[in-house]
Amino acid sequence: MSLWVDKHRPRTLDDLHYHAGLSARLRALAASGDFPHMLFYGPSGAGKKTRIACTLRELFGKGVEKLKIDQRVFLTPSKRKLDVNIVQSNFHIEITPSEVGNYDRVVIQELLKEIAQTQQVDLSAKQRFKVVIINEADSLTRDAQAALRRTMEKYMSNMRIILCGNSTSRLIAPIKSRCLLVRVAAPDEDEMIEVLRYVGKKEGFDVPDKVAHEISEDSNGNLRKAVLVLEALKMQSTDLDKPLTIAKPDWETYCHKVADMIVQEQSPQRVMDVRAKLYELLSHCIPPTVVLKTIADRVVDQVDESLKADIMHWAAIYENRMRVGNKKIFHLEAWVVKVMSLYKRFFYDIDMSGFDD
Amino acid sequence: MAEVDTFGLPGSLLAPADPVDSGHDESVTATMTDTFVLTGLLGAGRAAAEEEMRTESNQQEVTEEPMEVDGSRTQANEVETEDVFVSTGLLSAEPSNSGSATTQNGLPPTNSTSQESELPEVTELLRPYARADTSTSSTTISNFASTSYIVRASNFDGKPVMLKRRPRRAASSASILTESSSAQRFGKLLEVPIHRLLDELSTDEAIRLSRSDPEAAVAAQQPSGTATTKSKEREDSALWVDRYRPKRFTDLLGDDRVHREVMSWVKEWDYCVFGRKQGRGVKRPRGEDGDNLDEWKRPNEKILLLSGPPGLGKTTLAHVVARHAGYQAFEINASDARSAQVVDDRLRPALESGSAVGSSKPVLVVIDEIDGATGGSDHSAGFIRKLLSLTYDRPRKKGRKADPKASRPLLRPIICICNDLYANSLRDLRTYARIVRFSRPNDIHLVRRIREICEIEGLRTESRALTALVGIAQGDLRGCLNTLQLIKAKGKEVTESVIRTAAAGMKQSDMTSTTVLNDLFSPMARKRTKDLGLTEEEEARYVRRLSREVESTGAMDRVAEGCFEYYATFHQHDANFSRYLKANEWLASYDMLSGEMWTEREFALAEYLPFMLVGFYPLFQERGRPKLERPKATWDHHVATTTNQEIYVSLARCLRSAASRLHGDYRHLASDQILHLELAPYLNRIISPPLNPVNRQIIRPSEKATLARLVDVMVALELRFLRDKNDDGQLVYRLDPPIDVFVTYDGKRASDIALSKYAVRHLVATEIDDKLAAMRIEPAEKSKPKRSDFFSRTTDGARVDTIGPEDSASLPAAKRSKQDQTTPAEKVAVDFFGRPILPKASSSDNDAAGTKKTSKKPIVKYRVAYRFHEGNSAAVRKHIKVSAFL
Repeated sequence: MSLWVDKHRPRTLDDLHYHAGLSARLRALAASGDFPHMLFYGPSGAGKKTRIACTLRELFGKGVEKLKIDQRVFLTPSKRKLDVNIVQSNFHIEITPSEVGNYDRVVIQELLKEIAQTQQVDLSAKQRFKVVIINEADSLTRDAQAALRRTMEKYMSNMRIILCGNSTSRLIAPIKSRCLLVRVAAPDEDEMIEVLRYVGKKEGFDVPDKVAHEISEDSNGNLRKAVLVLEALKMQSTDLDKPLTIAKPDWETYCHKVADMIVQEQSPQRVMDVRAKLYELLSHCIPPTVVLKTIADRVVDQVDESLKADIMHWAAIYENRMRVGNKKIFHLEAWVVKVMSLYKRFFYDIDMSGFDD
Repeated sequence: MAEVDTFGLPGSLLAPADPVDSGHDESVTATMTDTFVLTGLLGAGRAAAEEEMRTESNQQEVTEEPMEVDGSRTQANEVETEDVFVSTGLLSAEPSNSGSATTQNGLPPTNSTSQESELPEVTELLRPYARADTSTSSTTISNFASTSYIVRASNFDGKPVMLKRRPRRAASSASILTESSSAQRFGKLLEVPIHRLLDELSTDEAIRLSRSDPEAAVAAQQPSGTATTKSKEREDSALWVDRYRPKRFTDLLGDDRVHREVMSWVKEWDYCVFGRKQGRGVKRPRGEDGDNLDEWKRPNEKILLLSGPPGLGKTTLAHVVARHAGYQAFEINASDARSAQVVDDRLRPALESGSAVGSSKPVLVVIDEIDGATGGSDHSAGFIRKLLSLTYDRPRKKGRKADPKASRPLLRPIICICNDLYANSLRDLRTYARIVRFSRPNDIHLVRRIREICEIEGLRTESRALTALVGIAQGDLRGCLNTLQLIKAKGKEVTESVIRTAAAGMKQSDMTSTTVLNDLFSPMARKRTKDLGLTEEEEARYVRRLSREVESTGAMDRVAEGCFEYYATFHQHDANFSRYLKANEWLASYDMLSGEMWTEREFALAEYLPFMLVGFYPLFQERGRPKLERPKATWDHHVATTTNQEIYVSLARCLRSAASRLHGDYRHLASDQILHLELAPYLNRIISPPLNPVNRQIIRPSEKATLARLVDVMVALELRFLRDKNDDGQLVYRLDPPIDVFVTYDGKRASDIALSKYAVRHLVATEIDDKLAAMRIEPAEKSKPKRSDFFSRTTDGARVDTIGPEDSASLPAAKRSKQDQTTPAEKVAVDFFGRPILPKASSSDNDAAGTKKTSKKPIVKYRVAYRFHEGNSAAVRKHIKVSAFL
C-alpha cells in the first residue's frame, strides 16, 4: 500500500539481505542483556535506520512497532519556541535534533533528562532501559554533543542511546569513545541486485538483469535510491524490458547544467547566469554543500587533467568557508568565479593580468 | 620673589580658561575653549614679542603707570573681598565692552586688566596716545606693579626686569569699578547668565582677532561702533536660532502652502473653540459629510501630524500658527516622559481646562518629536494609543450624571510633530491625523534668509560660501545658523573653507543601504565633492568615508547583499577575473567574519565589518552608471526558499502521519536530506505514470493496474489532486502538497515526467475520493495489512468491469472489503444509510458535462426501493447493509 522502499523494508534482523555478519553481531548484542550505546554510521541508503529498527525489534519485540508521533514544543532560553517531531513507542524514542538547528542542545538536554529520569514502568518489558535514537547525529552542534556526553554515562541504567549519522568525523571524541561504533557499509552491486530482484519478486514481476545492473550502478550504493528508481521506472513504463533511461534526480541534472555553463563560457554575464541557477537550486532546498560537490564533480570531469586538482582544492576551501559563513551563495559564486578564472588562465595559457586596470 | 621666565606668561594667559570648563553648558564650553586656546596661543606669541619690547622700555614705564591706575586700585581691593564672581577674570568681556565705551568717554584705558582680552584691546585703545606698541606691556606691568607681589624676570639680554604679579581677582574688579555706578553693574552681572557673558567674551575676542588681521583690518572700518550695537543685541538671546526665530506668520520660511494648510486646519477649530463662524477662508470639502459636522463643529481629523526632516521649522510653525490663531501653545516634547501616563497627567487637564494657567487664551497642544524618544517601543505606542483614545473616544451621552470620570470631548486642537512619518509607533496615528509634510525649502530662500541674518550680525559673507553651507546642511536652517554662529564666535570670515571646516561632520544625511551601495560603486558626485569642498587628494581617500557610511546604515548585511548582486554587472571587460576574484574574496571574508561574530557572539568584530565592503570601491567604481536599485535577489530567493520549505514540511507531515496511520516507516524518509535529494524527485516520477485519458469503464487492463497503484500510493502518502481554477479560469487539478515544484526548475518541469492531463487527474482524484470514503467507513478493515498485488492481478481488470455495484453491494461485508482491495478502482463508497455513494464525477469524458451523464447511468441500474420502517429514527446509527433492504 505504500512505496516499495517502505513496504519491503526488512523488519527483523533475519530479513536483512546483506551484512549477515553485522546482523549476527547485533542479534548477539541484543540478546546479551548488556546492550551498549551505539553509533551507526555509514553512507546514505546503506541501511542504518533499517538495522536500528531491526535491532530494536530484537530487543523489545513487536511492541516497538506501535508508534506514536507527536510534536513537542521546547522553549529556548530566549523564549523562542521550537517544534520537534518525536516518534516514540513504549520502548524507545526517536528524535532528529538537527531539525531545530542551533538550538539542538536544548532539545537534547531537556528530552534526554526527562527520559533518563523515568524508569520503564512496563513490567513486561524485555529490557529495563529505554532507547533513544538520535538521527543525523553528525549534524549535532558541539554544545549538544557536550550536553550528551555526561548524560550518556550518568543515566546508563535507564537509557541507551543509538546515534545515527553519515560519518563520525564531526562527532567529538568523548562521544565516540562512549559508543560502540557500527559501520554500515553500502551494499555492493550484487547485493543491490539481489534486493532489487527480491522487491520485483514480491511485487510480482521480474527485474531484467540489465535494468538491475543499471540501477545499481546509477544509485551508487544507495539502496533506498535504487528502490525508488525501480519503482519510478516501473511506474513510468510497465514493461521493463524496453530500453530505459534512468532518470537522474532533477537537481542533479540541473547541477550538471550549471557545470556545463561554467566550462562553456567564462564571462561576467555567465557569472550572473550561473548565479541565477544557483539561487534556483538553493531555493529548492538542495544543500549548498551538495550543490558544490555535484557541480565540482561534473566540472572536473570535463576539464584538463592539470586543472582538476586545483578545482577540487578550491571547492574544498569554499565548502569550508560556507560552513563558517551564513550566506552560502557568496561562497558558491566565489568558487564559480575562481574556477572560471582558473579555466580561462589555463585555456589562454597566458597571464593576462597586465591587460587589466 | 620668584624668578619667572618670560615664557611663563603665556601659561598664565591660558590659565583663566580653566574656570570656564567647570559648570557650564557643554556646547558653550566647547566653543569657548576652542576660542580660548586660540586666543591663548596668539596671546603667547604676542606676549613673547611684547616682552622683548618691554625690555627696551621697561624701567620708566614701570614707574610711570602705577600712577594712573592707583585711583581705581584701592576700590578694586574692596570689591575683591566682597564678590567672588568678579574674581574669575572671565568677566572681563563685560569690562572690555565698557572699555570701548570708556574710550569714547576719554577715560584712561586702565580698566581692562584681564589678561586674555586685555592685550590686543588695550593696544588698540592706547593707539590714540601714540604709544601703540609699548603701551601694552606698560599697562600689564602697571597692574603688576600695583600689587605687592613682584616677579623678577630677565629679558633676553639678561637684564633683570622687575614685574609685579597681579592678583587675579583684583584685576577684573578694577575694570568694573571704573563704571559710574558699581552697584548697578553688579545687578546686571547677576542678571546676565555667565554663559552669555562668556559667549560675548568669545565673540568679541574673535572679532578683535580677525580685525587685527591685516586684510580684515582694512575691511572693518568702524569696529567700535559695531561692537556697541552688537553688545546691545546680544542681550536678547544666545543662540541665533532663537534670536531669529520667526515671530510672525509672514516671517516663516518655506512652502507657503504648507503653512497655510496648517493654519486653515487650526482655523477649522475656530467655531469649536471660539464659538465664532468660520473665517471667510474657502471651506475645504472634506469627506462626504461635508464640513465639521460633528457635535462640536470640530474638524474631521482632530490631530494634525507635521512631518519632515529636522531643522526646517516645524516646531516654529506650530508655535507661530498657534499664536497667530489666538491660542496659547502648550508643548510636550521628548524631554518629557513619553508614557501613556503623561496623557492623563498633563494633556488631559490642559485640554479639559481649555486654557493654560494664568492665560486667557485657549490652549493648543503641540506634541513635539512624537516619533522619537522611545522609538517604537511599547511605551510610545501606549502613548499614542492613549492620545488617540483621548481624542476619538465617544464621550458619554449628554447629561453626564453617572460618571464624572467619563472622558469629555476633545475641544482643543492638537498638533503632533515628527521626523519620520513612517515610524512604527506612528502607525495608528497616521490613519487618524491629517498629515502635513514638510519639504526642504528652496536653497535660494534659505540663502537669502541667512544672508539677512549675517548682515544683522555684521558677519561678512560671500554668497558662494552660504550656498555651500546650505548645500552641506541639506536645507537644515537650524544647522546653518548654528554653524554660522560658531564661525562668528571664532571670529572668522564666512568663506567657503571656513564653512567646510566648521560644518565638518555637521550632518551626515541619513544613509540608506541603497545610497551607500551607490556610493560604493560610483565615485562621489562632483557636486557633492564640491559641496564638501574636498580636494582631489581627499576625495581619493575613500576608506574612512565609505566605512563610516557603511557603518551608519545599520544594515550592513543588506549592503553586502547589494554588493554581491551588482558587482558582476561592473567592469565587464575583466580578462582574467582578477577583480571578481578580489571582490569575492572580500565578500567571503565579510561573510565569514559576520558568521563568526554571530555564532561566537563576538560583537566587537562588528567594527571591522564595514572595511570588508569598502574594498569594492577601488575595484568597481565607475562614473555615470544608472543608479542601483535596492537589491532584491536575496529577498526573492528567501521567499522562494521559504515557500519550498513549507512544501517540504507539509510533505514530511504527510509522511509522518502516514507512518503513524499505516505503520509505515515513512518517518525514515522524512528526514531533510533524504526528502530533498532522493524522495522528492522520484516520488514525482512515481506519481505521474504515463496514463492516457480514458473512460473508467473502458480502461486498459495494464493501465488499470497502474492507476490502482497510483491511487494507492497517493492515498497512503496523503497526496491529493485538488480542483482549482488557474489564471485563465480553466479548471485544473493541482497536486497538494504541490511537490511537483521539486522537479520544476526555471519554471520548466523535468522533461521525462509527463504532465498528466486534466482528465487523468480527474480520474485519479475521483478514485482517491472513493478510496478515502471507503477507508472512513471501514477503518478497522483498512488498517489490516493488505496484500498488495496489483501487478500480479492485472488480469483482474477485465473482471472488474463486469462487477456491478449491485454485486458488490450484495456481497457480505468482509468479502466486499476484500473485493475492494483487489479492485480499488471500483470501490463503492457507502453512505450513512449504507447506500452506495455515487461518485459525483466518475469520469468518462474529458469535460464535466460528460461526467454528469455517466454518473446518472448507474442509477438507472439500481432497482432499490427503500422503505422507511416506523420506529427507526435518524438518532440511531446503525450500519445496515443494502441487502437488508432488498
